[in-house]
Amino acid sequence: MFITSYMTPSPVTIGPDETVVAALNLLEGHDFRHLPVVDGRRRLLGMVTDRDLRSACPSSVLSTSEQELILDRVKDTKVRQIMSTDLACLHPDSTLDDALLLFRRHRFGALPVVVEEERLVGILSLNDLMDAYSDLFGLGEKGSTLLALEVPGHDVALAGLVAVLEKNNIHCTRLVRTGGTGKDPARIYLRLSSYNMVLVRKLIRKAGFSLYQPPDIRE
Amino acid sequence: MAEKCSTLREMNGITDHIAITLVMDAAFSRHDTGGGDHPEVPERLHVIRHFLEAHFPEGSVSTVSPRPATREELLRFHTEGWLCRFEEAALSGRSFIDHPDNQVCYDSFEIAMLAAGSGPTAIDLVENGVPGPLFCCVRPPGHHAEPNMPLGFCFFNNCVIAVRYWQQRYGRQRICILDFDAHHGNGIQAAVDAEAETLYISLHEHPSFSFPGTGWAEDRGSGAGLGAVLNIPLPPGSGDDRVLAAMDVEITAALEEFRPDAFVIAAGFDGHRKDDMSGLSWSTGLYRQIGRRLAAWSREYAASRMISILEGGYHLSSLAASVGAYLEGLLGADSVQAVPQSRDREW
Repeated sequence: MFITSYMTPSPVTIGPDETVVAALNLLEGHDFRHLPVVDGRRRLLGMVTDRDLRSACPSSVLSTSEQELILDRVKDTKVRQIMSTDLACLHPDSTLDDALLLFRRHRFGALPVVVEEERLVGILSLNDLMDAYSDLFGLGEKGSTLLALEVPGHDVALAGLVAVLEKNNIHCTRLVRTGGTGKDPARIYLRLSSYNMVLVRKLIRKAGFSLYQPPDIRE
Repeated sequence: MAEKCSTLREMNGITDHIAITLVMDAAFSRHDTGGGDHPEVPERLHVIRHFLEAHFPEGSVSTVSPRPATREELLRFHTEGWLCRFEEAALSGRSFIDHPDNQVCYDSFEIAMLAAGSGPTAIDLVENGVPGPLFCCVRPPGHHAEPNMPLGFCFFNNCVIAVRYWQQRYGRQRICILDFDAHHGNGIQAAVDAEAETLYISLHEHPSFSFPGTGWAEDRGSGAGLGAVLNIPLPPGSGDDRVLAAMDVEITAALEEFRPDAFVIAAGFDGHRKDDMSGLSWSTGLYRQIGRRLAAWSREYAASRMISILEGGYHLSSLAASVGAYLEGLLGADSVQAVPQSRDREW
């Protein structure tokens, strides 16, 4: 649940007095779109994105000679002139939920991770966050089955359910409880490392739960 | 060639009025999955046999015993390490391998080799002119087995071994493997993912929910095999309509483009609405419609070169009725006189 497991540590950075062209060249050699701007002590000063850099360069629909003319005038533009300084940051003890909330609120594509004195130690992108949640939910975990259970009431002994499964060598690798707010019915989603659904269904009923049965889907 | 066909047919007791040839043997009952609540039980084959005897005209179903797969045939997909590990586990008395789902007994290695040899046995019959549906009524199933490990009750990948045999022994390179078991055949996809000569089509319950958690629509094959995998995941609760729509549109288009020389069908019947092993909601009658379409495609593209190999299907009465419906569908209109259509009632 902590971002440190999913962030890129010691990311590629650029200094504030480097040029826009140097920054673009740096991005082109790598597979990312965000460049933290740091000083000599790796203290975070700002962020430039691929979009910021391309906005500062001539349009590709212009002729080559027009592009060269404009590039000649802007090529010495410093990164500090176009970088964003209004940043949201994470810390090494931030959780994935912290990151998710920041991404939703600010619509950034990546978040720097800093320690004391705003020293940069990592960066977490939206793709990193998707990888993290995919891991958490066991996406693509080969050999597993996800079951949706109806929740019988507000007070539910989940421990009883997991215990009866474990006793029969059926291991629960993920468990999520959702809904129950009035708009959506409460459900439990269980990811199990078993194929024997005949036994699983029997044990679930024994524990007092029932499977969520979607209606027959018709076109 | 005609003389050879005649001899092979006589050896296997196949005469002209036979409608269906089953590749099956009583030995499959010896693969013991421990009883209790394990659903992959010997009774699965018994109920199929009894249903066919009760519902098809006497003498219209012939049974041929399979030969075991050779070590060479197994090694075209599986590793030496897995063969050794499997054999050792069975002979040393272990009760399962890697996971309690994969129950074994002393005889399991030997019986799994027999199941794996059923495809080559059926292929020899097809190539030697035996007409009518060839159905390998076998256990343990195979389509989850990977080169180096068992998974989901499967130990040797019966369908992949059949495909490789057809390609190597008879030169039929372009083979379509169509899998209508309720679960994605991860092992089959692993075998053919990167090659253009095989087309793997799978209809299965959506991997977000269903074992084994593979089979995304976005997986289309890789490298030279890009476009040679067609996964059709279906949400829980999906009924006949979705399957028929996929067959009549996406699968028809894929086959038209691929034009296979032969078909290997991974025939699983656990999508039935009464089968607890999946959340799909298919009727018995759907399997008849699947059979009809497969028969038509095999005639159109591959001169009826098609074999079917049993995969899943665990609700015993529904399994038996669904296999019966499937075989009726394969026989199609040409065999209405020989085989009465059973009423589409729920078992």
